[in-house]
Amino acid sequence: MNLGDTKYRISEFWSEFRKERSGLVGLAILILSLLVVIFEPAILPWKEANSKWRSIDYWQDNSASAPPAWTNAFTKLKAPVTVRLDDGEKEEAYLDGGVKLVTYTFDYHYTADKAPLDVIFHITGHGDIPFQVSVERPDGTTLDLGQRFEQGLAGQDIRISVDNDGREAAFTFIKNYESEGALEQYSGKSLRTNDILFNTAREGMAREFRPLKGNYKLMVKAMLLDPENSDVQKPYVVVTGSVSGLLGTDDSKRDLFSGLVAGLKWALLIGLLTSAISVLIGVMYGIISAYFGGTVDSVMQFIYQIVNSMPVLPVLIVISAIFKPNIWMLIAVMVLFFWTGSVMTVRSMALQIKEETYIEAAKALGAKKSRIIFKHMVPILIPYSFASMALSVPSAIVYESSVSLLGLGDATIVTWGQILHDAMQGAAILKGIWWWVLPPGLLIAIMGMTFAFLGFSMDKILHPKLKTR
Amino acid sequence: MYKWFALKRVLKGIFTYVIIIFIMSVLFNTVNEQTMRSNIEEQVRAETMRLKNMQPAAIQRFQQQRRDDLIHLYRLDRPFMERILYRTWNTLTFNFGKSTIIKSSRGEREVLTIVGEALPRSLILFTLAAVIEIIVGIILGLKKAQKPGGSLDRTTSLLTMIVYGMPTFWVAMILIMFFVYQLKIFPSAGMHSVPPPQGIMYFIDLLWHMTLPLLTLVVIGFWGISYVVRNIVLNILQEDYIMAARARGIPENKVLFGHTLRTAAPPLITMSVLSLLSSISGAIIFEGIFSWPGLGNLYWIAVQQNDIPVLMGDLAITVGIYQIGLILLDLTYGFMDPRIKVGGKA
Repeated sequence: MNLGDTKYRISEFWSEFRKERSGLVGLAILILSLLVVIFEPAILPWKEANSKWRSIDYWQDNSASAPPAWTNAFTKLKAPVTVRLDDGEKEEAYLDGGVKLVTYTFDYHYTADKAPLDVIFHITGHGDIPFQVSVERPDGTTLDLGQRFEQGLAGQDIRISVDNDGREAAFTFIKNYESEGALEQYSGKSLRTNDILFNTAREGMAREFRPLKGNYKLMVKAMLLDPENSDVQKPYVVVTGSVSGLLGTDDSKRDLFSGLVAGLKWALLIGLLTSAISVLIGVMYGIISAYFGGTVDSVMQFIYQIVNSMPVLPVLIVISAIFKPNIWMLIAVMVLFFWTGSVMTVRSMALQIKEETYIEAAKALGAKKSRIIFKHMVPILIPYSFASMALSVPSAIVYESSVSLLGLGDATIVTWGQILHDAMQGAAILKGIWWWVLPPGLLIAIMGMTFAFLGFSMDKILHPKLKTR
Repeated sequence: MYKWFALKRVLKGIFTYVIIIFIMSVLFNTVNEQTMRSNIEEQVRAETMRLKNMQPAAIQRFQQQRRDDLIHLYRLDRPFMERILYRTWNTLTFNFGKSTIIKSSRGEREVLTIVGEALPRSLILFTLAAVIEIIVGIILGLKKAQKPGGSLDRTTSLLTMIVYGMPTFWVAMILIMFFVYQLKIFPSAGMHSVPPPQGIMYFIDLLWHMTLPLLTLVVIGFWGISYVVRNIVLNILQEDYIMAARARGIPENKVLFGHTLRTAAPPLITMSVLSLLSSISGAIIFEGIFSWPGLGNLYWIAVQQNDIPVLMGDLAITVGIYQIGLILLDLTYGFMDPRIKVGGKA
């Protein structure tokens, strides 16, 4: 089969395929998801979601079990969205005694109806540095929320949480407005700092939250006592809201959208690799079994029947529970079960082709067995297996996610099944955290649908008997 | 002769089962022996605790003696091949030993009792679901085949493809979220209320608990069946005798249910049993979502508790059930379609 021949067959296939609307939809989704995989680094909101999915530190500034940001559109009281402010304005000033004061100011535009859960300052430093964080409110008042003296820094990340460190300052602040009698009910510990910080200053502010909307200046000051040997870098502020990201967060504060995007490539890899390898093995197995016939055929059929009479998922679960395989091993084990899918069809077709006159002619010309198989039989039979290849992708994805759902997945990667496992563990169903349960399964279903569209369309073209009149 | 065909098929099924169990014994040999050895240690320790007034040296001698006895009893001192064969034989005779943690409802630790308790619960759920799926699937499939390419055919085919890769356990989660925690009309888990009611209420209670798992299986299952039914029936409808029947003025429903369905019966039965088998082989862990105390739920518990003997027993029984299903499939197929038996070479 030469190149022109292949080209012709592909163009012929395409002209048929173009008429299948569902096939085209499937193709479009497949291309879209491949694009997402290629541009994953640009799409991921949390760049290190792949490597740090199970790191606690990486996600610590998010809020736990936060609904998606767009749920604000359906609620009366708007919740603040988690934002990260990176572009701080830097000011440097020299004080007496050779001390350098570095101030970073971040502008935060506050428009929500509820207070943020926390405001967290991050900065990296070297040397001995006292830090101070303060906030200038839209009404002109400035609150000094906390100090921290860090010694012997060597590039660690300093994390100052206003919620923790600013309680006393907030208590001092309400003293200006509340009466003595009212103050007695409160102490520094019973107040939430942010409920004060973002509140309209008035009597009764400790009791009721009335948002003071406008521009807040979030400031972090670092005093470089010894400017030669110390410096600060990479400041940023995270304002933790009660809604977050495109798809919210789970109960360990992870951004679910990042997890789902990171899981896409694994779903595709698991599905495509498993089905491609197993269908190729199945086709070769069927052809060899049919071509050689006799004892070879009997033995191969026997092996086929044994593999075919094992229930896949239970065996897969037990193997995973005992050997704790990584993702590549899991794919290999799935291939061990999946190759049987296409054997019988291929075998019966190969039995027919074997009797064709051109095979006989090739034999008479002295062609070797391998030549007949690879030159004359494989190229004809491979296209027919494309449909079964596409149709076995969904089951590979579902099996992997079932194994992961039991908590037996590869712990070095993120897959949709593992996210669902975490959702089960975190009682997401009971708590009604739908943004944790719905999207992963929906994506698995969409992947399945995509390949079903492709597979059924190809099936219709390759087996014209099923066509509707 | 159908008798010989059946005998041959049953023997072949048993042989296949033996081979599968043998392969598993080889594959899981290491972990099985580890569990056995730790069981022996535990037993020796328990026996030592009961002893009183003994010298340390005597205790040690006793422990060594008991350990050797038990290792000999479980044949752990024999050559590799013999150990494997012994274990295969044990599995084949359902001698799974004792579980490490999991107990049956009466507190027994025999693996066979634990798995045996779970088995009927799984069977009742899956067979009932299969029956409903098949009825709905056949009716829908016939309607689809009557007007291929019509609007009903196209929309249901589209839906078939949409649910094609939908994970059963996920659908279960969504249904629980909606029906149990939003609408609060179904119980969230289990098989009975606690305590289970008596008499007729017992069965109503059971049905009430079973509705949601059944719904999950049926909602996912019947689409595929109706699609296959459609294809089978579509082929038959093109046959000459159907055209002849129609030409004779036989009512359409009679053509459909009498002439067509009878010819379609063998492949339909195959497909029905296969769909039951495939839900055992692919969807069984969805029981865990509903805490339906069947075989699938047992996998969850055994994995979480790391109870190897129960896991092995569960697997052996599941494979056995699957095997029986395959045998029944061939037997009914041979009964319905006599051509199969004559060809009986394979």
